[in-house]
Amino acid sequence: MSLKVSLLLDGELAPAEVKAALEETASDSRLRDRYTIYGLVGDALRGNSTPDDGFSARIFERMQREGARIERGFDPLSVMKNEG
Amino acid sequence: MAETIKDLELVRLAQAGDAKAFEALVVKYQRRIARHVARYVKAAGDVEDVVQETFIRAYRGLAAFRGDSAFYSWLYRIATNTALNHLQRHPGDVLLGDDAPEERADAFEPGISDAEDPERMLMAKQIAETVQRALAKLQPELAEALTLYEVEGKAYAEIADMLGIPIGTVRTRIFRAREFIAKRLEPVLEPQRKVRW
Repeated sequence: MSLKVSLLLDGELAPAEVKAALEETASDSRLRDRYTIYGLVGDALRGNSTPDDGFSARIFERMQREGARIERGFDPLSVMKNEG
Repeated sequence: MAETIKDLELVRLAQAGDAKAFEALVVKYQRRIARHVARYVKAAGDVEDVVQETFIRAYRGLAAFRGDSAFYSWLYRIATNTALNHLQRHPGDVLLGDDAPEERADAFEPGISDAEDPERMLMAKQIAETVQRALAKLQPELAEALTLYEVEGKAYAEIADMLGIPIGTVRTRIFRAREFIAKRLEPVLEPQRKVRW
């Protein structure tokens, strides 16, 4: 399944596969972790190696305050919360 | 896959109300957008505000996105306009001549306050070094595929053409390269996760 996460990140899944891959990734902390780390690897190779450090979480919090429907399914911080 | 259709299915799902699809796009692009915004805006706290505003505007304007350009190009333009609006409201934040935008962007660390956080700076350095060390240890064909994709910006199909391999092999090489590096990054990220990741 991590291969699918890699393809999801790159927009390389067939359209019919994307929703299922999203659901599976969001419901599995290890796969969410992989989505975030694979993204970090790419950014680091392009010279931007900053850890997320709650940056995405704060975006989601602000969006929720502004009325956006957010589930925090891809929030890197929620991976750690769920794992306690 | 062409840039214009790269994120299209995620965008379509987000337009249809799938919150996770938009969240996946936020996590994917937040670091790149932050670096772009830092070319315009001085203080790290203001950069973060502008990035948040950018994603809110993108969310609200999502119905108008028709896929004529790549999603990231559309997001990039929103970030530029949001940063310029911020500068109109805060003229004192306009960057001066000696403060080259590229240098500022390189120095930007999302989430860091004006008083720099040495621990986070150290972690960013450790991540960069770990990724580079892992890349050097990778099988050359895996490193080549990952570098062509992430650094050179080539599409999977282009990489397949350049290397004379099936696209399925490109997929697995990029995945295996990422997984190899991810395993070496995990111990570096672990202390940060215990605090806040």
